[in-house]
Amino acid sequence: MTAERRPEAPPWPSYDPGDLYDELVGPSGAPRPAAAPLWRHFEALGPEALVERQEAAEREIRAVGVTFTVYDGTAGVDRPWPFDIIPRVISSTEWHHIETGLVQRLNALNLFIDDVYHDQRSVSAGIVPSELVAGSPNFRRECVGVDPPGGIWAHICGSDLVRDADGTVYVLEDNLRVPSGMSYLLENRMVTKHVFPEMFRHYSIEPVDPFIGRLANLLASVSPAPGDPTIVVMTPGIHNSAYFEHAFLAQQLGVELVEGNDMVVLDDDCVYVQTIDGLQRVDVIYRRVDDLFLDPEEFRPDSALGVPGLMRAWRAGRVGLVNAPGAGVADDKAVYAFVPDIIRFFLDEEPLLDNVPTLRCSDPDSRRHVLANLERLVVKPANESGGYGITVGTQAGPEQLAAVAKEITDHPRAWVAQPILSLSTAPTLCDGDVAPRHVDLRPFTLIGPEGAYVTRGGLTRVARNEGSLIVNSSQGGGSKDTWVVDTSLAVPGTGA
Amino acid sequence: MTGDRTAPHGEHDVHDEHEPKEGTMLLARMAESVYWAGRYLERAESTARIVQVHTDTHVDLPVGEDVGWEPLLAIVGVHTEFAARAGTGRHPDDPEGAEADIIEFVLHHEDNPASILASLAAARANLRTARPVVPREAWEVCNNLWLSSVDHLAEAATREGRVQWLRRVVAGCQRITGILLGAMNRDEAMSFLWIGQNLERADLTTRVLDVRSDNLHMQRGDDPYDVVHWMAVLRSLAAYQPFRRAMPARPQGGSTLRFLLQDDRFPRAVNACLSEVRSHLKELPRAEEAIDSCAEASLLVASAPIPRLALGGLAEFLDEMQIALADVHVRIDRTWFHPTMARWMPASAAS
Repeated sequence: MTAERRPEAPPWPSYDPGDLYDELVGPSGAPRPAAAPLWRHFEALGPEALVERQEAAEREIRAVGVTFTVYDGTAGVDRPWPFDIIPRVISSTEWHHIETGLVQRLNALNLFIDDVYHDQRSVSAGIVPSELVAGSPNFRRECVGVDPPGGIWAHICGSDLVRDADGTVYVLEDNLRVPSGMSYLLENRMVTKHVFPEMFRHYSIEPVDPFIGRLANLLASVSPAPGDPTIVVMTPGIHNSAYFEHAFLAQQLGVELVEGNDMVVLDDDCVYVQTIDGLQRVDVIYRRVDDLFLDPEEFRPDSALGVPGLMRAWRAGRVGLVNAPGAGVADDKAVYAFVPDIIRFFLDEEPLLDNVPTLRCSDPDSRRHVLANLERLVVKPANESGGYGITVGTQAGPEQLAAVAKEITDHPRAWVAQPILSLSTAPTLCDGDVAPRHVDLRPFTLIGPEGAYVTRGGLTRVARNEGSLIVNSSQGGGSKDTWVVDTSLAVPGTGA
Repeated sequence: MTGDRTAPHGEHDVHDEHEPKEGTMLLARMAESVYWAGRYLERAESTARIVQVHTDTHVDLPVGEDVGWEPLLAIVGVHTEFAARAGTGRHPDDPEGAEADIIEFVLHHEDNPASILASLAAARANLRTARPVVPREAWEVCNNLWLSSVDHLAEAATREGRVQWLRRVVAGCQRITGILLGAMNRDEAMSFLWIGQNLERADLTTRVLDVRSDNLHMQRGDDPYDVVHWMAVLRSLAAYQPFRRAMPARPQGGSTLRFLLQDDRFPRAVNACLSEVRSHLKELPRAEEAIDSCAEASLLVASAPIPRLALGGLAEFLDEMQIALADVHVRIDRTWFHPTMARWMPASAAS
């Protein structure tokens, strides 16, 4: 049907990403190879149909009840999950590189965490400063000397990837505590299948569903008991912003969704859950509760979300916790800068994925460069997390920059600096028009004693407003389905 | 490792992977959620039907024989809440205003915790909590039913719009029940759902009878509208056609009572509901106490002196019946949802 049309005829003539890297459109204005069939399809579809399908997608999301919770003061409000129907496309060749890099990174981070809680060889070898580890808010004394199965602490990692103007993919964050988003990744694909069923006939798109099976296998593999394990998903409760995901995962895994109150640790150091037939032993807990709320006996005594004695049970090897407590020590702005060195030290390999270049101001050469280029850099405190104390050079006035310069000169160890990245864009439906919007990508990596798995693609988050770099759904950001496409396979009907 | 997608790595070696799990673990909190989901779905559906039938009957009766709209408040059990509601009495002396006020209250007024909309919201909230144990589609349909009921509230203010609104509620609830029947494992979670649904059904049947007994003149066989009233009772419980097929007499006090209390084939008859409850209780662990209580309720309804009740004392009997039904609920709650610590002892702790 589209054979007579010129393949490079743009479906959106006014679409112009400018100097930014666009995920679907190449510099010449033609589609990137992996996106070509999508491009042709949208051209044939026309703009009105696109808007109709966007509306159909939004109706489905509302009907199916895919929500996230935002907090307005104290009350949580469920909002429909924001979704843009134009998929983001990644070639399987590029994805293979990213996925190998993610597994390498998570392997190294696990070795690092295990080292932190044992011999601290990486500290004595001078790879990571000791004050960085000891002073980390995510370091847990309670975990020192513990040996989780396979030495694996961070079983599930949600990485934040961004692409700069030259096309390089950078790891921006490794989320090793209770990363969320996998349910939305799966739901986005489900909606896309319903909205663009015909695309899946003409395209070789890698499925995302196997993730759930891999997650189930991973959870089963950390069970301390032989035989078929009892697995539960532990949620802080219905008011948590990610409750939808917790319920979704429990349903998809076919396991119970429990709260702290449902469980008890008895004198045998085993964890039990209250069922209709009395207490039943639990072997594996996929916990979506932060470390400090897990066990009021050892962490915050006021936590009503946890289970007294849970840490005792875990240390005794009577229950598997995913992720292990204390894994967050490697998920820290300060540790981030050292991850390339951590990979080299533990794996004796060069990192396959780039860190955003991070200049440590303690180094005299770096410091000179930072001070000379403050207006072009992001300056961050080295030992803070959560975006506190960040100065973006392009958005700061001269007085602020002078104050930052003085801080850096006085306390060079306390500061790092990074270039300001121009995140890549992807075509996004905005008020009936298709316009470039900034995107990032959150894939999920699973690592267990039996192997590794990376989601095919990930959750693409998209900034709603022109020029905005804020992709968080709590701040109006949207999401996209992400297609990993095998361009080497000839697919009938595409004219390729 | 990551490149080869066909390699079997990562496959967990599950023992006896072709065999089902030994027993299904049902969390006490989940059991409570599905039980209440069953109750609230039944309440929403039945209340919608009662309002619909009341409207139909209302138009059949001449002024003077008219029972007004207050009985709806009594059936739902919200007389007090109605009197205390916000924005009382837009048109207190105008019959149409009274109808609008009461209908609004029963359908969706925010001060009515037992409104149809509140029941749908509660069913939805409970199904949401119970998502891990109920079919995804059941949750989706319930969520959709709630959303569309909210979206179309304004239309329910007119009699024409109300018919559509109530019909959507009834059809939606029936659809959910159908999905559960066709797609849910017949396990303990299913048992709790049906127990909740049938207890609520039995309770509503006694309420409908209770309220009607106030304004029905049972002894008066010559009242031409007597039959209209009894037909309304049957229709409110979707019992008219089943009654016709099963009972020889034309609708009147005695045979209607006999049918709605003691029949064992009609799903909304109190006796049939209790049989259903009992058969599901038998599927559950530690059910002795609840089964005993259920048996007592069954005995009470089976031994009801129908001919005498048709002449008087029905309200007292129904009070007793409701107390018996409440006791079944209390036993269920105590056994499975909120057991005392002594009941927490694990079956395996001895080993």
